[in-house]
Amino acid sequence: MQKPAEIVVDQITKDYGRFRAVDHISFEVSKGSVVGFLGPNGAGKTTTIRMLTCYMPPTSGRASVAGYDVFSQSLQVRENIGYLPESTPLYHEMRVGEYLDYRGKLRGMPRAQRRQRIGEVAERCWLGDRLRWLVGNLSKGYRQRLGIADALLHNPPVLVLDEPTVGLDPSQIREARRLIAELAGQHTVLLSTHILSEVELVCQRVIIIGRGRILAQGTPDELKQQGAQRGGGSRLLVEVRGPADQIKSAIAALPGVQDAKILGGGPVASFEITGKVEAALREQIAATVVGRGWALREMRTAGMSLEEFFVQITDPGRSGERSDGGREAA
Amino acid sequence: MLRTLAIAGREIKALFYAPLGYIVLTIYLLFVGLLFSLQILRPGSLADPGPMIAMNHLIMVFLVPFITMALFSEEYRSGRIEVLRTSPLTEVELIFGKFLGALGFYTVLVLSSVVFVLILLAFGRPDFPPIFTGYVGLVLMGMLMVSVGLFFSALSQHQVVAAMSSCITLLVLDWLATVLSFLLRPYVKPSWHFLQGVLNVLGYIAIEPHTTGFARGVVDTRDVVYFLTGSFLFLAMTYVVMESRRWR
Repeated sequence: MQKPAEIVVDQITKDYGRFRAVDHISFEVSKGSVVGFLGPNGAGKTTTIRMLTCYMPPTSGRASVAGYDVFSQSLQVRENIGYLPESTPLYHEMRVGEYLDYRGKLRGMPRAQRRQRIGEVAERCWLGDRLRWLVGNLSKGYRQRLGIADALLHNPPVLVLDEPTVGLDPSQIREARRLIAELAGQHTVLLSTHILSEVELVCQRVIIIGRGRILAQGTPDELKQQGAQRGGGSRLLVEVRGPADQIKSAIAALPGVQDAKILGGGPVASFEITGKVEAALREQIAATVVGRGWALREMRTAGMSLEEFFVQITDPGRSGERSDGGREAA
Repeated sequence: MLRTLAIAGREIKALFYAPLGYIVLTIYLLFVGLLFSLQILRPGSLADPGPMIAMNHLIMVFLVPFITMALFSEEYRSGRIEVLRTSPLTEVELIFGKFLGALGFYTVLVLSSVVFVLILLAFGRPDFPPIFTGYVGLVLMGMLMVSVGLFFSALSQHQVVAAMSSCITLLVLDWLATVLSFLLRPYVKPSWHFLQGVLNVLGYIAIEPHTTGFARGVVDTRDVVYFLTGSFLFLAMTYVVMESRRWR
């Protein structure tokens, strides 16, 4: 049984003049889950988020957050949402604590509650030692944390974070991910990003959009499986010591092999084999290689990474070329 | 209400955090100080700060645009409008908060000239009621000027454009109507009813004629209504601009 949906988007559309930025998108986010919202630049991520946070009304369609309609119950929606905009705009002349206090007042929090919550979120976002700093003097990473602290301030059931880890250094990114993972359960989180490893680490579900439409949604594993099916099977990486050309033609001649590509030459050649990579084929390849007197050094199957799936689905023209460089090693 | 006051408080503080607020304050005090020392603090003249108060509109036309230019323009330019718009605030709370903030700074500005009234106290015994009504008139005038500035700030994301357009509008409101009616009045025959009517209207929408009464201690409801309806008109237009921006 699925948990009740906290965010419901139903056939939402947004036109900017003649340009259709978001085209009849529908999805649901269940309570307490962390959902990654992926898409290339200009896919309509921010536009969708802006409609959910009541920054702009949809051209058509409906959406509700925490049970309130974004159009007719906009104030209640905004009370129940914590939103970190993409560029984290802040007032640079204010001090960190003062800014949080101001934001608390805008949300109608009484003084005692403001004081208590500021302490809590400052600790949670590692801002404790910066409360008296001027916002303008903070580094990009600290501003980002302040933005997250602001979004958390009123302890909203729904959090919408638009690229929260942009501008953070690697250790801060890890901290931020840990924070987001901690938030799951108590809060429903919609996380927009284009860093795919982030999604695999923190999100239970992924929604991929491109050119204003939903291209795929599911758990990261489901998507990888989908990708493997669409991509016509997975790949086999083989490393053999011997003459590259001969090995290649020998392998390519085997039944079930669609294509064999030489990845690296030299005394030890490596190949990428696509086709129906089943156990029988692997055994056959091994037998062929060994039977011809070459030395089989390594053989492994490589599934499709979320990144490859993302590229395949958002940019069909380039799905053929796989990012070969260091992907297999990763 | 808490939200409106929070926004107003932030606006006033922002003006005092930045050099701009102090520059405006300095220019204002210089101007009023000159008026005071040349017009009032002379041997044999009346102990009456009336002329000093009455001439405030001359400088305010140039200073108020600087107070109001950033109100919305800067929010648009920096993207903070997104933060404001996604906070649980109504449009009216937002506009009114910005308006009160700028008006608050304006009031501080105007009240800083009370120093000169205190100086006058050392030399004579000025009549207090007209001074009081004079300041009331200044605050009413400030409401109109600030709402004009607020309107233009909501129109543009460039502070300079906002300041220039509100300054020109205020100048026209303050001067042109009066000047035109003075220049044209002698040539318009009393029988040309339509043109007479136009001149009357121009005379009525001018700011300057509505300020003189207060400084003399006369609180004319026509003047009060003029400033209140004028501010309401520009605040309502600001509301329309803000709402239409949301739909773009």
